[in-house]
Amino acid sequence: MPASRFTQTGNYKTTYPQDSSVFATSAEFVSLGVLLLVLLVIPFLIPSSNLKTLDTILVYAIAVLGLNITTGYTGLINVGQAAFLGVGAYTAAIFATKFGLPFYLCIPLGGVVSAIVGGIVGLPSMRLKHLYLAIATIAFQQIFRWGVGHSDLLQQGQSINMPAPVIFGTEIGYLLHNKFWYYVALFFLIVLALIWRNLMRSKFGRSLVAVRDNDRAADAMGINPGTTKVTAFILGSFYAGIAGALFAYLYRGAQVEDYTLAVSIKFLAMAIVGGLGSLPGAFFGAAFLQLLDDGATSLGAWLSGILPQIQGVDIGTAMRPLTFGLVIILFLIFEPRGLANFWRLIRSYFKTFPFKY
Amino acid sequence: MSFDVFLQLFVQGVITGCVYAVAALGFVLIYKSSRVINLAHGYLIAVGGFSVYALYNLFHGWLGDSSSPFLSFIPAAIGGLVISYYAGLLIERVFLRPMVGEPIISVIMITIGLGSLLSGILHLTPFGAGNFSFTPPLFATSSIQLGSISISPNQLMGVVIAIVFLVGFTYFFRRSTLGIAMRAVADDQLASQSVGVSVEKVFAIAWAAAGLTTAAAGFTVGAISGLTIDNFEGIGLKVLPAVILGGLDSIEGAIVGGIIVGLLENLAAGFLDGFVPGGGTSEVIPFVMLIAVLMVKPYGLFGTKEIERV
Repeated sequence: MPASRFTQTGNYKTTYPQDSSVFATSAEFVSLGVLLLVLLVIPFLIPSSNLKTLDTILVYAIAVLGLNITTGYTGLINVGQAAFLGVGAYTAAIFATKFGLPFYLCIPLGGVVSAIVGGIVGLPSMRLKHLYLAIATIAFQQIFRWGVGHSDLLQQGQSINMPAPVIFGTEIGYLLHNKFWYYVALFFLIVLALIWRNLMRSKFGRSLVAVRDNDRAADAMGINPGTTKVTAFILGSFYAGIAGALFAYLYRGAQVEDYTLAVSIKFLAMAIVGGLGSLPGAFFGAAFLQLLDDGATSLGAWLSGILPQIQGVDIGTAMRPLTFGLVIILFLIFEPRGLANFWRLIRSYFKTFPFKY
Repeated sequence: MSFDVFLQLFVQGVITGCVYAVAALGFVLIYKSSRVINLAHGYLIAVGGFSVYALYNLFHGWLGDSSSPFLSFIPAAIGGLVISYYAGLLIERVFLRPMVGEPIISVIMITIGLGSLLSGILHLTPFGAGNFSFTPPLFATSSIQLGSISISPNQLMGVVIAIVFLVGFTYFFRRSTLGIAMRAVADDQLASQSVGVSVEKVFAIAWAAAGLTTAAAGFTVGAISGLTIDNFEGIGLKVLPAVILGGLDSIEGAIVGGIIVGLLENLAAGFLDGFVPGGGTSEVIPFVMLIAVLMVKPYGLFGTKEIERV
């Protein structure tokens, strides 16, 4: 046994249950509690306009968690995550506007319908691998966009307004909108993160990794790669559907422009910048790229204010793709394990202080 | 629908198909030798197209309006080829070389990042937002009548350039020493290294050659449908159905696939749009076909079937 349950410098685990426990030390348990406490009080500390960014980050983190199941753990490259968000968003929009269902039913329904669609789209993964599957998901993304644009029910991709949520008979107005959706998003994020973390401790979670590393070998060991891959797709798109429904409520409308190929690429970038297959990485990646996006927009506005104007050049719009591309490339070349690895290094620095390792 | 309309759609389909074929050729060149799926291809074509356009305007400005357009067009085309050749080399050296041996997702993401970077750089130039039509008045007539169908000479020239490139590269791969070395590397990197083929050099040449095709594709796009970033982005995506149909590592496949996608688009626009509310089936048909091909014949018409072992 280690001398202290809080500071543990070595690996003292002697049994498998110990090794697969969620918290390695009591310090981790305590720090998670502190983190949750901070997350709960944050809406009262920052202005409401900044809170919307935080809401968006939480929602995107859910989508990235889902992507981490398909792409991070199962190795199925999914360049269509935004389309699954779109399916969730439109499901919620239809159930809320046409059937008048309350938001706490619409959001899970969005997840369920998205999961069903995910199962259908995931079917090619039984046959296709790697880049072929990536291309198939790009095609799905394009077909989704076209289909929404040609559907009268979905108003040709124009925004479908979401009703304001009603809870205990009171409607949540504009003033409380950001705060309310912060807590709803946080609730779903915590529940889904718990499921995610425990999924990876289960037999199914390990079979995902086995299929990623070598699906033929996994097949030989009695894991059915086909069903495993399709289930991974179903789970990943369930997360995406929940995130999409939340996103539609948060932005008061479902419109196809929020669920394009560019957004799918953003999710992949978030997963990679955060660190593929890492729970804190999903938060870091979503936060980092979302804040970068906002930063690039204001940088562009600032630059076009001070630089001389050239005919036909818009520096403001150039900054976003420029910084986005640069960040992806730099991370892939210099830190492919993402921000999660920085986090790991910082933690191990404090853990082993004053020694190097 | 009369036969004449069908014929006109068919000819237009072949013309658009030629653009896709040249674009797909560059894509296949890269994939064949280095197994990189280049999702930045649309932006590379944009770089090629815009550089030919910019050089043409520059030379034409120097020589004055009264000079023959050929006098500015030919140096501009050569200049565009040189620029995109070196752009290809540079991209391979800076972005793709560090990715050798990394997982597929990293390679895919780096081409996506590269595409984003290139689009950012293009937005820093006047080409980012504008819509430019590039139709240098090279020929006296504005359209050629062949029976009931009409073609513009610029489109015809685009097709001729496309055919020259397609034949040239097919010949290059079949006959030249370097082409055979590239095929060897595609087949087995370790074995080709042991007989003295420089794999690094082959990768670099593949990207440079793909750069050459992007200049040709860029010009052809300009002559056929106009130069805008959105247009190039669209072509970067439409390349995917073309190469999947033809087989990812087959040059003949790229040609056949490109032309079939072009035909499919134009015929769908002519025949299916009436049945679909809102029309625009040409936008989605290639992708529906892509999924169908992947389900039925994932390695395409001419692609090499991969055999997997544990």
